[in-house]
Amino acid sequence: MPREFVTLQVGQCGNQMGSAFWQRLCMEHGIDKDGILEDPSIDGEDRKNAFFYQADDDRYVPRAILVDTEPRVINNILASPFARLYNTENIFMSKDGGGAGNNWAQGYSIGEHVYEEIMEMIDRETEGSDSLEAFMFLHSIAGGTGSGLGSFLLERLTDRFPKKLIQTYSVFPNSQEGDVVVQPYNSILALKRLVTNADSVIVLDNAALSRIAGDTLHIQTPSFDQTNQLAATIVASSTQTMRFPRAMFTDLTSLVSSLIPTPRCHFLTTSYTPFSSDQIGEAKSIRRTTLLDVVRRLLQPRNRMVSAPISKSACFISNISIIQGDVDPTEVHQCLLRIRDRQLANFIPWGPSSPQIVLGRRSPYIHTSHRVSGMMIANHTAITPIFKRMLDQFDRLSKRNAFMEQYKKFDDIMTEFDDARAICDDLQKEYKACESADYASYRTPAEEVQAVA
Amino acid sequence: MSTSLDPLVHTFVPASRIDPSLKDDLVAHCHDILRSHIGHRTDSSFSQLADLAKRRLLQLSPSGASASTFTALASKLLDQPVLSKKQEAILFLYTLSSLNAHQQTSLPSSIPSHRQPVQAQTTTPQPQSAAMGEDRTRSNAARLQEFRAQRGTPLIDESALVRDTLYLMQGISGKYVRFASSEDDEKSLTFTSDPRFTINPPTRTLIHRLAELGYLYSRVETFVRERENMPGVGMIEQSLCHYLQTQLTEYYRLIAVLETQLASSNPNENNASSPNPAEATGLSLRRLDVWVNEWRLRMRMMSVCVEGARDTHGGALVNLIHSYTDNGDPFIRKFTDELLEEVSRPFFVTLHKWLFSGELYDPFEEFFVNADSSLGHVPYVHPSSLPGGINQLSSEGMFPGFGDSDDMTGSSQKLWETKYRFRKDMLPMFVGESFGKKIFSTGKSLNFIRYSCLDSDWVITREKMSNTGGTLQYGDIGGLERSIDAAYQLASQRLFEVFIDKFKLLDHLSALKSFLLLGHGDFADQLMETLGPSLSRPAQSLYRHNLTANLETAIRSSNAQKDPTDVLRRLDARMLEYSHGEIGWDVFTLEYKVDPPLDTVLDNGAMEKYLKLFRHLWQMKRIEKALDTGWLRVTGSARTFIQLPEYESEWHKIRVTLHEMIHFIRQLEAYCRVEVIECSWNSLLEFLNKKDGDLDALIEAHRTYLERTTKKILLVNPKPGKEEILLRQLSELFNLILQFREVTDTFYNYCLSESARRDQQMDNVRGVYTGAAKDSPSHDLPSGILERLQECGSGFSEKVQTMVQQLQVHPDLDCRFLGIRLSFSDYYRPKKDSSVKS
Repeated sequence: MPREFVTLQVGQCGNQMGSAFWQRLCMEHGIDKDGILEDPSIDGEDRKNAFFYQADDDRYVPRAILVDTEPRVINNILASPFARLYNTENIFMSKDGGGAGNNWAQGYSIGEHVYEEIMEMIDRETEGSDSLEAFMFLHSIAGGTGSGLGSFLLERLTDRFPKKLIQTYSVFPNSQEGDVVVQPYNSILALKRLVTNADSVIVLDNAALSRIAGDTLHIQTPSFDQTNQLAATIVASSTQTMRFPRAMFTDLTSLVSSLIPTPRCHFLTTSYTPFSSDQIGEAKSIRRTTLLDVVRRLLQPRNRMVSAPISKSACFISNISIIQGDVDPTEVHQCLLRIRDRQLANFIPWGPSSPQIVLGRRSPYIHTSHRVSGMMIANHTAITPIFKRMLDQFDRLSKRNAFMEQYKKFDDIMTEFDDARAICDDLQKEYKACESADYASYRTPAEEVQAVA
Repeated sequence: MSTSLDPLVHTFVPASRIDPSLKDDLVAHCHDILRSHIGHRTDSSFSQLADLAKRRLLQLSPSGASASTFTALASKLLDQPVLSKKQEAILFLYTLSSLNAHQQTSLPSSIPSHRQPVQAQTTTPQPQSAAMGEDRTRSNAARLQEFRAQRGTPLIDESALVRDTLYLMQGISGKYVRFASSEDDEKSLTFTSDPRFTINPPTRTLIHRLAELGYLYSRVETFVRERENMPGVGMIEQSLCHYLQTQLTEYYRLIAVLETQLASSNPNENNASSPNPAEATGLSLRRLDVWVNEWRLRMRMMSVCVEGARDTHGGALVNLIHSYTDNGDPFIRKFTDELLEEVSRPFFVTLHKWLFSGELYDPFEEFFVNADSSLGHVPYVHPSSLPGGINQLSSEGMFPGFGDSDDMTGSSQKLWETKYRFRKDMLPMFVGESFGKKIFSTGKSLNFIRYSCLDSDWVITREKMSNTGGTLQYGDIGGLERSIDAAYQLASQRLFEVFIDKFKLLDHLSALKSFLLLGHGDFADQLMETLGPSLSRPAQSLYRHNLTANLETAIRSSNAQKDPTDVLRRLDARMLEYSHGEIGWDVFTLEYKVDPPLDTVLDNGAMEKYLKLFRHLWQMKRIEKALDTGWLRVTGSARTFIQLPEYESEWHKIRVTLHEMIHFIRQLEAYCRVEVIECSWNSLLEFLNKKDGDLDALIEAHRTYLERTTKKILLVNPKPGKEEILLRQLSELFNLILQFREVTDTFYNYCLSESARRDQQMDNVRGVYTGAAKDSPSHDLPSGILERLQECGSGFSEKVQTMVQQLQVHPDLDCRFLGIRLSFSDYYRPKKDSSVKS
């Protein structure tokens, strides 16, 4: 009974990302587009059943549930070569196909109607797994479906599976050029659910994704496909140690428990290096890679999947680098010493913290041109500005009461907004507090009130 | 002749007519003169002699009358047809005349000189002065002889002595000279005590020298004869005897030649009248001495060898002989080389067998490899069928209690290590110690391949192949070394192949790493999950079949199922011996069974270490999992967390402490995995991939790997008495974590019930009926629980801090690095700094 994961991909962005993710997983596990093992003679020593199960005809089927309120993206997937991979029973498209109109409230309220149907899919998948460990939730928080319906589903999942971890891969909106005007509303409302209903959130900043994709490819505006591949790589790498088990971090619990010390500070940032043609089509550059190179690059702010100015006081709460490839274990020692000597990273003052380097196994099915590649998952206080920015944008919009009528459908939306704002503000404050030495005696503003009373 | 001398003497010395003794003396003197060669000039012509005589006469009587008379007489003599020796006659007369002249001046002084040797004879046999003129010696010797003859102890005739000496040279006593009683260890030479004969001192020494040969001969001969009849004489000694025998035969031949010489010269000597032929062909003691000189050296060498052979044996004997090859004397060098060539032959035969087929054929224990006969050539197919021996070995140690379940647990480690021993003293020096070791290991490897790995086909084929090549011999040390090198390479390579390909050593080693060292993380997780709850129960309530069932489940549900079935078959779960009060955690262990010949590498000691490591790592895993589940409850599931606002800050503190503990255990584990296990494993793999060295090197490499791993994982401090200080601290920390978990759980349960109570109250207030309104009273917080949490938290920090400090001064660099890992952000820096700050 290996630890299984059920993946939910919600909304346009979630499904696009999901599609790229499954393609990548297939590649890493040597499974072809129809779910058939390409070369049974290779023993990948992998755990395919973490994400797939085998149908009666031995095809590998992803434990994926595809949810969208409009048919376009899912139809695209079904028209793609990988169409046969998915279990068609696990695809939910809103019958009216009208979409959520980039409105959180609409997405959320659709949830009320389609809840039964989606839950049935989830139940089927969870019951099909021996010991489900976690849900992987792929969505964006800017639009309507991923954000609104996603929020709804997160709430219901928590209710229904209180003992299961919920790990989300949430695409945060690009701050400058939001193509959705009401994005600040959607984000803040969805963020509230991420704070309260998810166990761990891997923040994928759209701005950073396109910047990194652009840097790698040397083009101004990378296509959605390219950014999605990049995101898929992150998602795949973060589960590397579970799919290709070695001694450590073979389950998600051990990974997140070392990353997340307190329940609200569970917004993780990632870096990945080097991106190459293997992950993104057309990327050319190949550098010499050594462990130290890779780790150093992982620690550089510009490789982080989060675009935010980093203050001097910002520090790592925790930090895990998953390294794949041909690494001499003795290098780890050198590398850690170098990080310490050069002070390449700051750490929290209120508790012990160290960079953890995990030597993961590489998939035997794919051959990369890089000797070493690495992914860092970190809990870093540099995420604070993102929340701050979201709050600012929200405040700017809500002050003018702009576009508010679309949300009025939702009962008691004003309280909801206030509540969400308060929670985001608390989150931002708590992350800030993590930078000080007396975090151990930190209290949320609500607790302060309580304590005074 | 003597008849004609008498009147002459009477004429010249009138006194002799009255004194017969004087007359005899003079006659004898004349005889001597006649016999001697003094003035004997065969080359001078008659006229020359005549001239000389004339000149003498002129000197005596310047008148010239006698000279002219002589001339007339001489011419008359020349005309005489009857006399044949005219020249000699003249010479005689001439000599007489000069003697006459001499006698007048020096005769008185020559009488005392006669006596001098007599006195010398009575005191000590003084060496005669070499400076004495030839003329004088001769006459003195003659006088001495005369003197002796007078005293009735004549010199023994040399020819008799020569015969005696020839006997002596064969170890037999002669007539005049004999060995002292042969029973004595030291054979000493005695001269016959017969007072009638004397042997003069120079001859004595000469005979002494020659008799040494006889003495040596008899020793060598006795040795050879002894060995011939002795049972259990080593082959090397046998071949030594053979060589000695051939040498002795040579010696007999020499004696025989000498004897014929003696025989042919004796008749000549009997003729007596002509000494000249005797000079040419006869056998004198001196001649003998020269002829046998070379033999004397040879005999000495042989005797030394014989002497050595008494105490030493086999290879050591070869060694002894070899020690004489380093000699500047080419004769000795050559002799020993020949001898070695012969003597080392059986050694090389044994060597060949050993080197190419791994068989020790050494009935007399002469080889430098010694077999422990108690561990004979036991084929391992049916170890149980053999009485005693190997079976006893198999039942002890390794798997007590389960020995019966597996018959294949004979310890070939012991076999490998003790079956053959290297005996340095028996190693021939010309082989050299490093080569000796190589030979030893080659044969051992082959033997092992053949009898323990049952791969005899290969060995036999190889042996055949090697037979086509040159033979091994002493003369070709270079070739020998090449052969040894080649054989060593082949054998050790093959042993590697056998171990790696046939017995899948690498599979087993990595299985040990995956299972016992928990390298299969998913397997360990599963095992922990299925087994964890039951291990908290008392040890006596655990059943082995439950454990094995759980093990089975863990294997099937993890990637471990893909491991070879042979590996999985060997994996077993069991309990150690337990005493009352112990719980499952204390006694559970995994084990991995190995059978011969794998247990050569994975011996009992190694398996014990593996088990020890397993128990430690398993404990670490347990703590890790305990913390993870704690985290899930306290931090992860915060979304469903009980809402008790007054304890929120307590929980926050608990989480911070929990984080600290998780950090600790993760870093510790990462250290064990990366710095210790992976690094050690890598160097082991490096060695295995090189395929260089023999089984001993392999065992050594594995031992080093295990040693390093154990030392670093258990943080052993090399300082005596402090070995386990860190390990103790570590287990204290583990205990503290478990305590903390317990207290947290209590607190959690309290909060849970409290929150449920409040919910119910609220429901009641709202007028909603939720279950029987028991209206349970508010429980008080279990007293002291918050304090205990606090204690655990701070206690943990303090302990980690002490540990970090100790690690920072740990002699082992890697352990020191653990200190850095634990306090990477300098969180655990010494108190001083923080106190200054506060």
